[in-house]
Amino acid sequence: MRDRKFILLLTLASILLVLLNLPAPVSRKVESSVREGISPLQQAVSGFGARIKEALIALRGLGGLARENRELSSEMVRLQNETRLLRSLAAENSELRKQLGFAQRNVNEYIPCEVTGRDVSGWWQTIRLSKGVGDRVGENRAVISAEGLVGKTIDVSVHTADVLLISDPACKVSAKISRTGAFGIVTGRGVSPRGRAVCRMEFINKNISVLPGDEVFTSGLGGVFPQGLLIGYVEKVYTDRDGLYQSAEIEPKADLGMVSYVFVESRGDPVDEFMRARRQEGGEGR
Amino acid sequence: MSVVIMIFLLVCGAVLQAIVPTGPAMGQVRLPVLLGLVIYYSLLKPRKTALNAALLAGLLQDALSMIPLGFSSFCFILTAWIINSWREEVFTRHWLTHMLLGLAAVPANLLVMFVLLTQARVLVLPWSGLLLKLWGSIVTGAIFVPLVCRAAETLEVKLGMLEARES
Repeated sequence: MRDRKFILLLTLASILLVLLNLPAPVSRKVESSVREGISPLQQAVSGFGARIKEALIALRGLGGLARENRELSSEMVRLQNETRLLRSLAAENSELRKQLGFAQRNVNEYIPCEVTGRDVSGWWQTIRLSKGVGDRVGENRAVISAEGLVGKTIDVSVHTADVLLISDPACKVSAKISRTGAFGIVTGRGVSPRGRAVCRMEFINKNISVLPGDEVFTSGLGGVFPQGLLIGYVEKVYTDRDGLYQSAEIEPKADLGMVSYVFVESRGDPVDEFMRARRQEGGEGR
Repeated sequence: MSVVIMIFLLVCGAVLQAIVPTGPAMGQVRLPVLLGLVIYYSLLKPRKTALNAALLAGLLQDALSMIPLGFSSFCFILTAWIINSWREEVFTRHWLTHMLLGLAAVPANLLVMFVLLTQARVLVLPWSGLLLKLWGSIVTGAIFVPLVCRAAETLEVKLGMLEARES
């Protein structure tokens, strides 16, 4: 009996040792296989949940449909006018750039994805998407919602992608305040007890005025996030303890806790295309 | 058959844990569905089955999150081993046992995992965040572990793999 117990203990210890010391590519492959295996069930359950949620929203909104329709119609007219104006401005801008000899800005493509789950451990602020390398979603790509920046992709398998939200302390975004052009780094600060995602913009020049309500956009520096994506608004400004810089509390525009559909930036790099083809050929996870 | 049911329960548990949202007042801790199942198997099954369940649950949790492979398995196996060693001394199918074990095991796992992750330098978390998570793990452990155990027990009774409780 004692021998059996010892053998069991030894076997388990060996399995754990092997697991903990697996080479990174092997460990990634194991993780990826498990994720791919569970992904269909996860998608089915989250899809069912989303449908119930939509049905409840529809039921709740039945009474106010006519009013909502009126509001949406007027909003559409306003947006159509705005689009017309923006089109003429874009054409004018493009012409001026050409005249000045500037390079034309790349218009990035965005891939729509459904959110199928959140970090199962609760330690990180991440979400899982329903698309992966097979759908041209690459690693380290900006993820946005209709409201603003959501995060960046970190782990991508053939049919899933994990996104690190901007509210996670490990996520850092180079940012710019639109009114003054002041640069800084936006870092996640988790979620407040009230459930709001919290971010902080650090290393802002102390001589530049920053006011509550100022819009914060991505600066385009750093190579991951393209320029001009709305991150959020300044809530509170204060000087750092050492007095060298200013910091600001930022309220992200995107509702990170409730987001269910997002868009992943796709740059269509030749390297991405090559990696995608290779992974699909080999059936490799990531 | 029992292995198939175990895998089914663990996979469903992992999916549920990944989908059900948690409140910010609970420090964003996930519902301890996988750990609840590990506790259930440790109380009601032989040691080998309990440890297998712990290993598989850990693998699932690590694969579905950013935790390095093996960390959760280590924590779950330790939990399963301790509970299984003491199972003769407790009422294995009583909700109070499940609640007390949830109350103790979920925060203990959280603390061990915090130490492992910070040692491995893969986690940035302020102390206030840890305290909030600790509070959340105590509450969710006490509430959800008995529910998970009850659900698993009901399924096994319905499938004829476990005798119904004496009323």
